Amino acid sequence: MALFEREDNEYGGDVATRALSVAAVETHFVERVYGKLSKVYDIVFGPTLHPGRLSALEHMRIQPGDRILEVGVGTGINASLYPRHCHVTGIDLSRSMLDKARERVAREGLQHVRLMEMDASSLTFADETFDIVYAPYLVSVVPDPVQVAREMRRVCRKGGRIVILNHFRSPNPVLSRAERAISPLTVHIGFKSDLDLPGFLAQADLQPVSIEKVNVLGMWSLVTCLRA
Amino acid sequence: MPVDAALLEILACPNCKTPVRLVKEETALKCDQCHRVYPIKDDIPVMLIEEATVEP
Repeated sequence: MALFEREDNEYGGDVATRALSVAAVETHFVERVYGKLSKVYDIVFGPTLHPGRLSALEHMRIQPGDRILEVGVGTGINASLYPRHCHVTGIDLSRSMLDKARERVAREGLQHVRLMEMDASSLTFADETFDIVYAPYLVSVVPDPVQVAREMRRVCRKGGRIVILNHFRSPNPVLSRAERAISPLTVHIGFKSDLDLPGFLAQADLQPVSIEKVNVLGMWSLVTCLRA
Repeated sequence: MPVDAALLEILACPNCKTPVRLVKEETALKCDQCHRVYPIKDDIPVMLIEEATVEP
Protein backbone atom coordinates (compact mmCIF):
# COMPACT_ATOMS: atom_id res chain seq x y z
CA MET A 1 0.00 0.00 0.00
CA ALA A 2 1.50 3.27 -1.14
CA LEU A 3 0.78 5.06 2.12
CA PHE A 4 3.29 2.87 3.91
CA GLU A 5 6.09 3.08 1.38
CA ARG A 6 9.17 5.02 2.27
CA GLU A 7 12.69 5.23 0.98
CA ASP A 8 15.67 4.25 3.11
CA ASN A 9 17.25 7.66 2.93
CA GLU A 10 14.23 9.15 4.66
CA TYR A 11 15.24 7.72 8.02
CA GLY A 12 17.14 10.20 10.12
CA GLY A 13 16.59 12.72 12.91
CA ASP A 14 19.21 14.20 15.19
CA VAL A 15 20.61 12.71 18.38
CA ALA A 16 18.26 14.61 20.70
CA THR A 17 15.20 13.44 18.76
CA ARG A 18 16.38 9.85 18.74
CA ALA A 19 16.68 10.03 22.55
CA LEU A 20 13.00 10.98 22.77
CA SER A 21 11.78 8.36 20.32
CA VAL A 22 13.32 5.34 18.59
CA ALA A 23 11.57 6.37 15.39
CA ALA A 24 12.39 9.21 13.06
CA VAL A 25 10.29 10.82 10.35
CA GLU A 26 11.30 13.26 7.64
CA THR A 27 9.47 16.32 6.35
CA HIS A 28 8.93 15.18 2.76
CA PHE A 29 7.71 11.82 3.97
CA VAL A 30 5.18 13.45 6.31
CA GLU A 31 4.01 15.73 3.53
CA ARG A 32 3.45 12.73 1.26
CA VAL A 33 1.60 10.71 3.89
CA TYR A 34 -0.76 13.59 4.63
CA GLY A 35 -1.20 14.27 0.93
CA LYS A 36 -2.76 10.81 0.79
CA LEU A 37 -4.53 11.02 4.14
CA SER A 38 -6.31 14.28 3.31
CA LYS A 39 -9.20 12.48 1.59
CA VAL A 40 -9.98 10.19 4.50
CA TYR A 41 -8.62 12.05 7.54
CA ASP A 42 -11.95 13.33 8.87
CA ILE A 43 -13.57 9.90 8.60
CA VAL A 44 -10.68 7.99 10.16
CA PHE A 45 -9.52 10.44 12.81
CA GLY A 46 -12.60 12.66 13.20
CA PRO A 47 -14.82 11.14 15.90
CA THR A 48 -12.14 9.11 17.78
CA LEU A 49 -9.96 12.09 18.54
CA HIS A 50 -12.76 14.64 18.99
CA PRO A 51 -13.10 14.65 22.82
CA GLY A 52 -9.46 15.77 23.03
CA ARG A 53 -10.15 18.65 20.63
CA LEU A 54 -13.07 19.85 22.76
CA SER A 55 -11.00 19.67 25.97
CA ALA A 56 -8.18 21.57 24.29
CA LEU A 57 -10.55 24.41 23.37
CA GLU A 58 -11.64 24.67 27.01
CA HIS A 59 -8.05 24.81 28.21
CA MET A 60 -7.23 27.67 25.85
CA ARG A 61 -9.58 29.99 27.80
CA ILE A 62 -10.05 32.12 24.71
CA GLN A 63 -10.75 35.80 25.35
CA PRO A 64 -12.39 38.16 22.83
CA GLY A 65 -9.80 39.39 20.33
CA ASP A 66 -7.26 36.69 21.13
CA ARG A 67 -4.83 35.80 18.35
CA ILE A 68 -4.57 32.03 18.03
CA LEU A 69 -2.10 30.00 16.00
CA GLU A 70 -3.05 26.42 15.16
CA VAL A 71 0.06 24.52 14.10
CA GLY A 72 -0.89 21.60 11.86
CA VAL A 73 -4.38 22.87 10.98
CA GLY A 74 -4.86 19.92 8.60
CA THR A 75 -8.33 19.70 7.10
CA GLY A 76 -9.49 22.50 9.40
CA ILE A 77 -11.40 20.08 11.57
CA ASN A 78 -11.10 22.46 14.56
CA ALA A 79 -11.92 25.62 12.62
CA SER A 80 -15.62 25.77 13.45
CA LEU A 81 -14.93 25.20 17.17
CA TYR A 82 -13.28 28.61 17.67
CA PRO A 83 -15.51 31.48 18.81
CA ARG A 84 -15.96 34.17 16.15
CA HIS A 85 -14.56 36.88 18.40
CA CYS A 86 -10.97 35.58 18.06
CA HIS A 87 -8.49 35.61 15.17
CA VAL A 88 -7.24 32.20 14.10
CA THR A 89 -4.22 31.53 11.88
CA GLY A 90 -3.89 27.91 10.78
CA ILE A 91 -0.68 26.60 9.22
CA ASP A 92 0.17 23.29 7.62
CA LEU A 93 2.88 21.84 5.40
CA SER A 94 0.50 19.67 3.38
CA ARG A 95 -1.14 21.44 0.46
CA SER A 96 -3.76 18.69 0.13
CA MET A 97 -4.82 19.11 3.74
CA LEU A 98 -4.89 22.92 3.34
CA ASP A 99 -7.11 22.61 0.27
CA LYS A 100 -9.62 20.69 2.40
CA ALA A 101 -9.33 23.34 5.10
CA ARG A 102 -9.91 26.15 2.59
CA GLU A 103 -13.05 24.44 1.30
CA ARG A 104 -14.32 24.03 4.85
CA VAL A 105 -13.56 27.63 5.85
CA ALA A 106 -15.41 28.89 2.75
CA ARG A 107 -18.33 26.47 3.18
CA GLU A 108 -18.87 27.38 6.81
CA GLY A 109 -18.17 31.09 6.36
CA LEU A 110 -15.40 31.14 8.95
CA GLN A 111 -14.11 34.65 8.35
CA HIS A 112 -12.06 34.64 11.53
CA VAL A 113 -9.84 31.82 10.23
CA ARG A 114 -6.93 32.33 7.81
CA LEU A 115 -4.64 29.66 6.38
CA MET A 116 -0.98 29.53 5.43
CA GLU A 117 1.41 26.96 4.03
CA MET A 118 4.41 26.83 6.35
CA ASP A 119 6.91 24.51 8.00
CA ALA A 120 6.13 24.14 11.72
CA SER A 121 9.83 23.92 12.53
CA SER A 122 10.44 27.33 10.96
CA LEU A 123 7.46 29.57 11.69
CA THR A 124 7.50 32.79 9.71
CA PHE A 125 6.04 34.99 12.41
CA ALA A 126 7.67 37.56 14.64
CA ASP A 127 8.40 36.68 18.28
CA GLU A 128 5.46 36.82 20.72
CA THR A 129 2.83 37.28 18.00
CA PHE A 130 0.06 35.07 19.43
CA ASP A 131 -1.91 34.79 22.67
CA ILE A 132 -2.48 31.06 22.22
CA VAL A 133 -0.43 28.55 20.24
CA TYR A 134 -2.01 25.15 19.74
CA ALA A 135 -0.68 21.94 18.18
CA PRO A 136 -3.35 19.22 17.91
CA TYR A 137 -2.03 15.75 17.08
CA LEU A 138 1.08 17.17 15.48
CA VAL A 139 4.28 16.64 17.47
CA SER A 140 4.42 12.87 16.84
CA VAL A 141 4.42 13.36 13.11
CA VAL A 142 7.12 16.00 12.65
CA PRO A 143 10.81 15.17 12.14
CA ASP A 144 11.95 17.38 15.05
CA PRO A 145 9.26 17.74 17.75
CA VAL A 146 11.50 19.81 20.03
CA GLN A 147 12.31 22.36 17.33
CA VAL A 148 8.57 22.72 16.60
CA ALA A 149 7.82 23.26 20.30
CA ARG A 150 10.61 25.86 20.56
CA GLU A 151 9.12 27.72 17.61
CA MET A 152 5.66 27.57 19.21
CA ARG A 153 7.17 29.04 22.37
CA ARG A 154 8.94 31.79 20.44
CA VAL A 155 5.81 33.07 18.70
CA CYS A 156 3.67 32.91 21.86
CA ARG A 157 3.53 36.06 24.00
CA LYS A 158 4.72 35.98 27.59
CA GLY A 159 1.83 34.78 29.75
CA GLY A 160 0.17 33.21 26.71
CA ARG A 161 -0.89 29.58 26.48
CA ILE A 162 0.79 26.78 24.58
CA VAL A 163 -1.52 23.80 24.23
CA ILE A 164 -0.25 20.47 22.91
CA LEU A 165 -2.56 17.56 22.27
CA ASN A 166 -0.70 14.36 21.51
CA HIS A 167 0.07 10.75 22.29
CA PHE A 168 3.16 10.30 24.46
CA ARG A 169 4.89 7.20 25.76
CA SER A 170 2.97 5.65 28.65
CA PRO A 171 4.54 5.81 32.14
CA ASN A 172 3.34 2.20 32.58
CA PRO A 173 6.45 0.03 31.97
CA VAL A 174 4.57 -2.69 30.06
CA LEU A 175 2.75 -0.26 27.78
CA SER A 176 5.90 1.80 27.39
CA ARG A 177 7.84 -1.24 26.16
CA ALA A 178 5.03 -2.08 23.76
CA GLU A 179 5.01 1.48 22.39
CA ARG A 180 8.74 1.45 21.81
CA ALA A 181 8.43 -1.95 20.15
CA ILE A 182 5.76 -0.86 17.67
CA SER A 183 7.26 2.56 17.03
CA PRO A 184 9.39 1.44 14.06
CA LEU A 185 6.11 0.15 12.56
CA THR A 186 3.86 3.14 13.24
CA VAL A 187 6.53 5.44 11.85
CA HIS A 188 5.57 4.04 8.44
CA ILE A 189 2.35 6.04 8.71
CA GLY A 190 4.36 9.04 9.88
CA PHE A 191 3.70 8.60 13.59
CA LYS A 192 6.07 8.21 16.55
CA SER A 193 4.17 6.14 19.13
CA ASP A 194 6.83 6.39 21.85
CA LEU A 195 7.56 10.09 22.33
CA ASP A 196 8.76 10.78 25.88
CA LEU A 197 6.72 13.63 27.43
CA PRO A 198 9.01 14.77 30.31
CA GLY A 199 12.07 14.74 28.03
CA PHE A 200 10.18 16.56 25.29
CA LEU A 201 8.96 19.30 27.64
CA ALA A 202 12.40 19.77 29.23
CA GLN A 203 14.19 20.04 25.87
CA ALA A 204 11.61 22.50 24.58
CA ASP A 205 11.86 24.57 27.78
CA LEU A 206 8.13 24.26 28.43
CA GLN A 207 6.65 24.10 31.93
CA PRO A 208 3.19 22.52 31.95
CA VAL A 209 0.47 23.92 34.21
CA SER A 210 -1.71 20.88 33.55
CA ILE A 211 -1.50 17.48 31.89
CA GLU A 212 -4.74 15.58 31.34
CA LYS A 213 -5.52 12.26 29.75
CA VAL A 214 -8.09 12.47 26.96
CA ASN A 215 -9.84 10.35 24.30
CA VAL A 216 -10.45 6.59 24.29
CA LEU A 217 -8.57 4.80 27.12
CA GLY A 218 -6.87 8.09 28.03
CA MET A 219 -4.15 7.31 25.54
CA TRP A 220 -3.68 10.92 24.52
CA SER A 221 -2.41 13.78 26.66
CA LEU A 222 -3.56 17.36 26.71
CA VAL A 223 -0.61 19.44 27.87
CA THR A 224 -1.21 23.10 28.74
CA CYS A 225 1.76 25.41 29.34
CA LEU A 226 1.96 29.07 30.30
CA ARG A 227 4.67 30.86 28.33
CA ALA A 228 7.20 32.15 30.88
CA MET B 1 -9.59 35.22 4.36
CA PRO B 2 -7.23 37.00 1.94
CA VAL B 3 -3.98 38.54 3.10
CA ASP B 4 -4.76 41.67 5.07
CA ALA B 5 -2.90 44.41 6.92
CA ALA B 6 -3.10 42.54 10.22
CA LEU B 7 -1.44 39.50 8.70
CA LEU B 8 1.28 41.53 6.99
CA GLU B 9 2.13 43.01 10.36
CA ILE B 10 2.97 39.63 11.88
CA LEU B 11 4.38 37.81 8.84
CA ALA B 12 8.10 37.48 8.25
CA CYS B 13 10.30 36.11 5.47
CA PRO B 14 11.23 32.49 6.34
CA ASN B 15 14.79 33.24 5.23
CA CYS B 16 15.49 36.66 6.77
CA LYS B 17 12.73 36.89 9.43
CA THR B 18 12.11 40.44 8.21
CA PRO B 19 8.74 41.88 7.07
CA VAL B 20 7.27 41.03 3.68
CA ARG B 21 5.01 43.16 1.47
CA LEU B 22 2.27 42.45 -1.06
CA VAL B 23 3.34 42.55 -4.71
CA LYS B 24 1.98 41.51 -8.14
CA GLU B 25 -1.54 42.81 -7.51
CA GLU B 26 -1.64 41.06 -4.16
CA THR B 27 -0.85 37.62 -5.57
CA ALA B 28 2.54 37.31 -3.89
CA LEU B 29 4.59 38.44 -0.91
CA LYS B 30 8.08 39.84 -1.29
CA CYS B 31 11.00 40.19 1.07
CA ASP B 32 13.03 43.29 0.17
CA GLN B 33 16.11 41.94 1.89
CA CYS B 34 16.66 38.62 0.04
CA HIS B 35 14.36 39.49 -2.91
CA ARG B 36 12.44 36.25 -2.50
CA VAL B 37 8.84 36.26 -3.72
CA TYR B 38 6.41 33.91 -1.99
CA PRO B 39 3.30 33.00 -4.01
CA ILE B 40 -0.24 33.24 -2.66
CA LYS B 41 -2.18 30.26 -4.01
CA ASP B 42 -5.97 30.29 -3.60
CA ASP B 43 -5.68 32.91 -0.83
CA ILE B 44 -3.11 30.75 1.02
CA PRO B 45 0.36 32.32 1.29
CA VAL B 46 3.07 29.72 0.69
CA MET B 47 5.80 30.69 3.14
CA LEU B 48 8.33 28.07 2.07
CA ILE B 49 11.82 28.99 0.91
CA GLU B 50 11.86 26.19 -1.67
CA GLU B 51 8.63 27.46 -3.27
CA ALA B 52 9.87 31.04 -3.56
CA THR B 53 11.40 32.70 -6.59
CA VAL B 54 14.17 35.27 -6.37
CA GLU B 55 13.29 38.46 -8.25
CA PRO B 56 15.41 41.62 -8.26
